[in-house]
Amino acid sequence: MKLLLRDAGIGIALLLLILFFALTADHFLSPNNISNILTQITINLILAIGMTFVILIGGIDLSVGSMLAFCAVVGGSVLTIPDLSVFQAVSLATVAAVGTGALCGFLNGWISAFWGLPSFIVTLGMLNIARGAALQVTDARTIYSFPPSFNAFGSQMIYGVPVVFLIALALVGIAWFVLSRTVFGRLLYGIGNNEEAVRLAGHSLMIYKIAAFTIAGVLVGIAAIVYMARLNIASPIIGIGFELNAIAAVIIGGTSLSGGRGSVIGTLLGACIIGVLANGLILFGLSDFMRQLITGVVIILAVIVDKYRERITAA
Amino acid sequence: MKLSKLASVLTLVAATALPTIAVAADKPVVGLVMKSLANDFFKNMLEGAEAHAKKRGDYELKAIGMQNETDFESQLNGVENFITQGVDAIVIAPADSRAMVAPLKKAIDAGITVVNFDVSLDEQAKKDAGLDLAFVGPDNRGGAKLAGDALAKALGEGGKVVIIEGNPGADNAAQRKLGFEDAVAAGKLNLLDSRTAHWETEEANSVFSTMLTAHPDIQGVMAANDSMAIGVIKALDAAGRSDIKVVGFDNVSAVQPLLKDGKLLATVDQFGSQMASDAIDKALAVVGGGPKLEGWVKTDIKLVTTDDVK
Repeated sequence: MKLLLRDAGIGIALLLLILFFALTADHFLSPNNISNILTQITINLILAIGMTFVILIGGIDLSVGSMLAFCAVVGGSVLTIPDLSVFQAVSLATVAAVGTGALCGFLNGWISAFWGLPSFIVTLGMLNIARGAALQVTDARTIYSFPPSFNAFGSQMIYGVPVVFLIALALVGIAWFVLSRTVFGRLLYGIGNNEEAVRLAGHSLMIYKIAAFTIAGVLVGIAAIVYMARLNIASPIIGIGFELNAIAAVIIGGTSLSGGRGSVIGTLLGACIIGVLANGLILFGLSDFMRQLITGVVIILAVIVDKYRERITAA
Repeated sequence: MKLSKLASVLTLVAATALPTIAVAADKPVVGLVMKSLANDFFKNMLEGAEAHAKKRGDYELKAIGMQNETDFESQLNGVENFITQGVDAIVIAPADSRAMVAPLKKAIDAGITVVNFDVSLDEQAKKDAGLDLAFVGPDNRGGAKLAGDALAKALGEGGKVVIIEGNPGADNAAQRKLGFEDAVAAGKLNLLDSRTAHWETEEANSVFSTMLTAHPDIQGVMAANDSMAIGVIKALDAAGRSDIKVVGFDNVSAVQPLLKDGKLLATVDQFGSQMASDAIDKALAVVGGGPKLEGWVKTDIKLVTTDDVK
């Protein structure tokens, strides 16, 4: 119940923002623009879902932007292998990209859990490893010329809703179910709240920590496929700073950086707030510099609001 | 055990370090400083320079690049390392027109021949630092005007256009924007909006989609590099707008299919692979006792259209 209330507050903030832009910026509510916003938030949303798992256990993953590039170039290399049918190429590329993400995520989780290291440091290492690996395997070249049907899928719409966004939404649904309706999910919250209590109850912390990071890695792999379908290129320099946007979506969505509190529904709303802000401020005619400045203010406001909420729910 | 390991590491280090020192003694060393090596443009440039070094054979090439277009720090460190190593010449495409002035001044004071190519250093910043340095490079403004003129010709007077700019603060971004604006004025086009997408594909895709919402009547787009033109063209595909014409800049290999399909009206080739080699030739001439370079040594530029890729 408390959780629902938290999400409702963020939902109201999003609605107010939408209302503001609807009244002040031309074309904001046009069907085309809404499709645009949904497309524009998709990649960040997928990354933020994974980030929610990691932050809920009190961790952080700084490597997702670099991992996105690594997954994309591995997937893109497979996708451009000659003499494969489109179906074979796309399936193999998906397996390769998701597998790469899962492997990086597994390493993040395993290394930080096994040696009891802060994930901040371990994923900082992975940030460089994945970027270096992406540059190494491509020799820093951009991969392009993907199958036309794969490319078309990236801009496919169903009643004006991008298919890639529907995929992200389905992932939100799955993540919500796992986090709130399964023992596994509740234990992740438990680890974020009180690691010692979970350990004393006889659960292996290591497995759950590894699982959270691996899930984040799998989602990076999926985001990489979406990226390639959307932009028709895979370059080793994509995704710089994407981890910060994903973390921002999670934090604006009301998930506590210290772990144990929050929800993936909040993350969905957080990603929407960032996307609506970015789009609305351009339509509003504001410069790019102001747009970035305002997004920063919103992140800080979200954390301050969270502080008050914490006090109220604790009382 | 530990000692023997240390010894073997030391031998390894010595083995890798010694040959460079030995070579440095008889051939001039040229330090080539480039921008993002993950951009095809600089990648081609590096390969051109490596082939050139092999062909000439009378100098040693040391090349460094950056992680991404905005990673000024590593360029700065690269220049400082070259000064420490005592190279004979530094040939540099500065990441920022102002930030690189001070370290290059230091290099010149250390007796190193410096050639500035690709992006010109800021005139005022050079003056403030008391630096007198020639520029070897293309006319970015003129090149952008060529692309803009091609767009203006295709659209006719009154055509509604937008500009997608490069990094704010970079001189070539500013020059290309000016060139596009020259074309707008000359072709009597109607400029609706102009925004940066920091040279990046994904950002250009998002920014342009939103511009298209604000101005559905856009007829033409001028992108300050091809990476951003690719993002714009994807946004047009997604919106089902085949009526909008796009021009880019750089002529990277990723846009060849787009030129062929007519999705990209034109781009500009500034022969990046030759540019570094040309600048190296000029640097070596000065190192060998030739006269100091002065002013602006212009390099070739060419408009590339569908006809050139067929």
